[in-house]
Amino acid sequence: MTTRRDLFKIAGGAAVGALLTPAPWRMITDGALWSENWPGIPRPARGEIRAKFTNCTLCPAGCAMKARCVGDQPISIAGVAGHPLSHGALCPYGIAGHHLPYHPERLLSGAVEDAAAAIKKGIGEGGRIAVFDTRPGRTASWTYRRAMASLPGGLYLRPEAALNGDAVDLSAARTVLSFGVPLLDGWGTPGNVIQARGNFRLIQVEAIESRTAAMADVWLPTNPGEERAIASLILNGGMDHIARELEDGPVLVLGPEDWPEIVELNRKYGALGRTIVSRRDAPVPDTWKDAAPEMEWADAAEGSIRVLLIDETAPGAYVPWHSIETRLSRDAVVVAFTATRDGYARHAQFALATAVFPEALDDIPAAVDSPAGVFRLSTSMVPSAAWTIDPAMFIAQLAGIDAASALRDRADAICRSARGNVFHYADQKSTPMKAMKADAFWKSLNEGACWIDDLDPKAHAPQLVARAATRASNVSLVETCGAGLVSPLFSKLHEESHVRLARHEIALNPAVGFCDGERVALQTDCGRIAMTVLLDPSIPPGSIQTATGADVLDLCGGATGAKVVRI
Amino acid sequence: MDKEFITRGVKRCSGGKFLLWLTPWALLLAFGLYSAALVLIKGLNQTNMDNRFAFGLWIFLDLTVIALGAGAFFTGFLLYILKIDDLKAVINSAVVIGLVCYSGAVCVLAVDVGQPLRAWFTFWYPNVHSMLTEVTFCISCYLTVLAIEYLPIVLKNRRLREVPSMLVFEHELHKLIYVLAGVGTFLSFFHQGSLGGLYGVLRGRPFAFREGLALWPSTFFLFIISAAAVGPSFILLTTWLVEKISRKKLVKPEVPGLLARVSGLMLAVYVLAKTVDTLVWLNRTSPDRGFQGWQYYSWRPFGTWILFAEIVAFGLVPALILLSPKLRAHAGWRLSAAAMACCGVALNRFVMTVQTLALPTLSFDPFMSYYPSWQEVGTFLAVVAYGVLVYSFSFRYFQLFPQERDLRVQAPPQREESELVTAGRY
Amino acid sequence: MNARYGMTIDIDRCNGCGACMVACAVENNIPPAHAGANDRKGLTWIRVYKVDNGKEYPERRSAFVPVLCQQCGNETPCAHVCPQQAVDVDPKTGVVGQMPERCLGCRYCMAACPYHARYFNWWDPAWPKGMEKTLNPSVAPRMRGVVEKCNFCHGRWHEARERAAANGLAASEPVDYVPACVEACPAGAIRFGNLNDSTSEVAHKSKEPDSFRLLEKLGTDPKIYYHSKRDWVKTIAEAPRPGAGKENVRG
Repeated sequence: MTTRRDLFKIAGGAAVGALLTPAPWRMITDGALWSENWPGIPRPARGEIRAKFTNCTLCPAGCAMKARCVGDQPISIAGVAGHPLSHGALCPYGIAGHHLPYHPERLLSGAVEDAAAAIKKGIGEGGRIAVFDTRPGRTASWTYRRAMASLPGGLYLRPEAALNGDAVDLSAARTVLSFGVPLLDGWGTPGNVIQARGNFRLIQVEAIESRTAAMADVWLPTNPGEERAIASLILNGGMDHIARELEDGPVLVLGPEDWPEIVELNRKYGALGRTIVSRRDAPVPDTWKDAAPEMEWADAAEGSIRVLLIDETAPGAYVPWHSIETRLSRDAVVVAFTATRDGYARHAQFALATAVFPEALDDIPAAVDSPAGVFRLSTSMVPSAAWTIDPAMFIAQLAGIDAASALRDRADAICRSARGNVFHYADQKSTPMKAMKADAFWKSLNEGACWIDDLDPKAHAPQLVARAATRASNVSLVETCGAGLVSPLFSKLHEESHVRLARHEIALNPAVGFCDGERVALQTDCGRIAMTVLLDPSIPPGSIQTATGADVLDLCGGATGAKVVRI
Repeated sequence: MDKEFITRGVKRCSGGKFLLWLTPWALLLAFGLYSAALVLIKGLNQTNMDNRFAFGLWIFLDLTVIALGAGAFFTGFLLYILKIDDLKAVINSAVVIGLVCYSGAVCVLAVDVGQPLRAWFTFWYPNVHSMLTEVTFCISCYLTVLAIEYLPIVLKNRRLREVPSMLVFEHELHKLIYVLAGVGTFLSFFHQGSLGGLYGVLRGRPFAFREGLALWPSTFFLFIISAAAVGPSFILLTTWLVEKISRKKLVKPEVPGLLARVSGLMLAVYVLAKTVDTLVWLNRTSPDRGFQGWQYYSWRPFGTWILFAEIVAFGLVPALILLSPKLRAHAGWRLSAAAMACCGVALNRFVMTVQTLALPTLSFDPFMSYYPSWQEVGTFLAVVAYGVLVYSFSFRYFQLFPQERDLRVQAPPQREESELVTAGRY
Repeated sequence: MNARYGMTIDIDRCNGCGACMVACAVENNIPPAHAGANDRKGLTWIRVYKVDNGKEYPERRSAFVPVLCQQCGNETPCAHVCPQQAVDVDPKTGVVGQMPERCLGCRYCMAACPYHARYFNWWDPAWPKGMEKTLNPSVAPRMRGVVEKCNFCHGRWHEARERAAANGLAASEPVDYVPACVEACPAGAIRFGNLNDSTSEVAHKSKEPDSFRLLEKLGTDPKIYYHSKRDWVKTIAEAPRPGAGKENVRG
């Protein structure tokens, strides 16, 4: 008979025996697994790993991208090595571009019906309608132009064209004289600039030792606002050590705006036709040719516009609001198509939410440093939310024109032209356009490809147009891109380090007398914006450096100088 | 009302007065526990520590209280191993102080780590190269030893002694006291030392890095000696403080003198060793690693004054005072010197923890400063409150000072209501 | 033969754009900054610092230096001090690996690292709603209270190993792969490879006279070689010299 004592003996023996086996020790070790991560920490989704190709729309460069996807969801982005324009390079904005659909500050739905009603009312009362397009040259831009041609008195407005719409051939330059242009920090197509860098000497004339100045071959420090005077001096024979370099040619002279001195220097040193070349755009269907012409915003009569539709979805040049406002009539209706609250949405009666990269299908026109015309698509890698508006469709519908297949129609027109080559991202091979059929071309474009035009054999000499300077002279603006939306991971660059200036941060020399982190206001005739001071000894005492943004451009555009005041 | 728990022959204030004394400390403890709870629930972002100041107030104060609590092991060593019997007068008090210091430090450490639930990993995956593993093991063991040494003090309570099994248990435990003292000394030697070793092995921080003997950098030995030096000083100070607060004489006059002499001797040895070590470090160890000695003291506010203060003002000066029989005999000199010695050791711990982290190692790093957040201060105040509460409780109900009753009998008799010893064992 | 993965970083090519920092965060599931985080409480496994020659305007000249875990090869400071072996140095690759799953959060390794390359999770990670869909399945996100650092994109190394094994490569042969920062750098300033392979670009460049390592005299034997033709840039490798005006306020 089993007694209680026997039971205890067996149990005790088993316990001691178990201790001699690996079992309890392994269980303790494995117990550590339960503390690996606690609940609430997100677990990445698993799935098939795929590659998708696209092009970036966050700035006019339109760099080629290869997205690593889990199923259909992009999880990281890299460049496409061997690409003839971007050479595999991407900037930090593009690398985290796939985060934008989830940005917490993204503009969510607008009052679409009310906007439509207001527009109809405005047109119905005989008012003039205009579309202001921040990035002209896209297929959507042609849709607007066609739409405006269909509406009585419709205008298509655009920002001023830098270099009068001509292109820069950086590979042809031997000396580049830059007046504060961020050539090595986001200008043009970064991959192209880096590729060409070894071929030219860069002379940077700038008050601040910017990133470009730090990496230039020669940095000419100036007093803030004196850049034009220096350009004038060189033009008139002064500064012979610079003039001698320029005579060696070929030369490219760049400025933040097309000042008369810049235009003259380029003309004097033979840049026109060599480093500044005219470029033909990608072909369009013949039926589009009677679209409304491109008009610079300043050419619209003052007070003449009753309904203004602003497409801000593709970031390009920002024209300060007080300039545009002068073109509006007293009872004007302004509708902004945008994904951010920080741009023209601040001034519009109706801000209609649009898709962001990489949700929408769009095309990117050639960048300033591409001597050949291009056509490339930004594919829809992630579906757009139902509440987003496609401005091109909205405006086409308004005008009663059919633009649903505009991109395909344009691709077909390019195919018919039989010009140029198609570079395929997946295998990095080039096919001549004339060897491809329309369907295959369209398929390639959607799977990741870029059409690059041949250079125009009948290219005319570029004609530069001089323009007056419009920006506050002592403020150095650090460029950001992406219509105000950048990935939340940019906190790495703004808050968790000081590699880049964040929005509403202002860099000043310590000698000016402010404290690090002090709240101040940047003030011009146009108003003031509250900012936080960041002390930086590399900013000379007369200069101010801050990150660009729509509100900052509103403040500094048109002002002669800015100052910093305590608040 | 709790008179039956109070040792015969000594007088303690009324229960009500005692509660009144405890109240502010209990409130402080509550506030401190709230601070600690905030840190445990919300995470270490409640503190002002950051990636550059990975250690802050807590580590500095932990090291300091462990050094101050070294009186427990050192007094035990002197009493039970070296048989200096006069120290029987303070050994119980020293044990309580030690227990409070160590248990408080361990509680703060539990709050200081990012994942306290993983504390057992150090025991399960120990790294034999790491000083912190040594510290963890030794402090855990020593805390156990201290708890065991505290047990007899508890069991000697007047009421508890009436339980026969407890009496027998206490008696048997007392036989182990020599073993416990020896083990305690051994463990303390190692963990006091490895607390110093924590910094001495940091080859990435030439300010802290020292060459050494065998496995151990010189800071290992310096920390042991300084802890041994400051332990008796702290006991001296606390005894005086308790005498002042309770308005009783607790120890015979020769005891403070003895403590002072021991402290002075150890302090003198420490100052000598520290001077030699500093000279070697400034002239050889640090420059060999590319860091010139003078640069450490070029960052304000840490000028050479801090070196001088640590070694001379709060090291050599109190050592000389405590060694001089004439000065030592005066309570004022004695206590000031003891306090200065404690400050010197605290300063040394501060220099090794906070100054090490403030100084840049890369040429493009700035000098950084840090000040603790209120949650950090609160948590540490909880330890102080806890210490006062445990000590007050022990002082009231247990016999921390065996000489108290004799001194009371010798004092001029006063008419009192409390019981006097008539006969029998206590 | 064992690999010793290392990098050469050409400071003359780095313009401080920060693409490497963003790409690293994308690859390794590093969360955006919590409200209240600053440059002392952030998670930047690779961080670009701005250094200068210490002179005043207009003689002041700047450069940008990306700093990441130097993968110390000799008596790796952090590996030695971790009380629970949460840091291991892989002899097959030379990479110093951090195991956040075992980390207690004592931060002793952070005190030990002279390059400040280790980062603590002061907060639990939080991503804006929906952004967790963009997390990389090859890397485990970490909870608060543990230390993390660059591991040369260990997830990518694993995938390269698996691909190589599927193609029949022996387990002992080093594999070719690139970490995210190397892939992202538009200027090609960061190069990665096997220092033990004498034909590799990094092995060559590391031996050039213009190449240097940070704090060499400490004897940590780092595997990141910096390169610059400018003499003043080379002085960043040395110990700080207070009063020389090099104290960097930004970066």
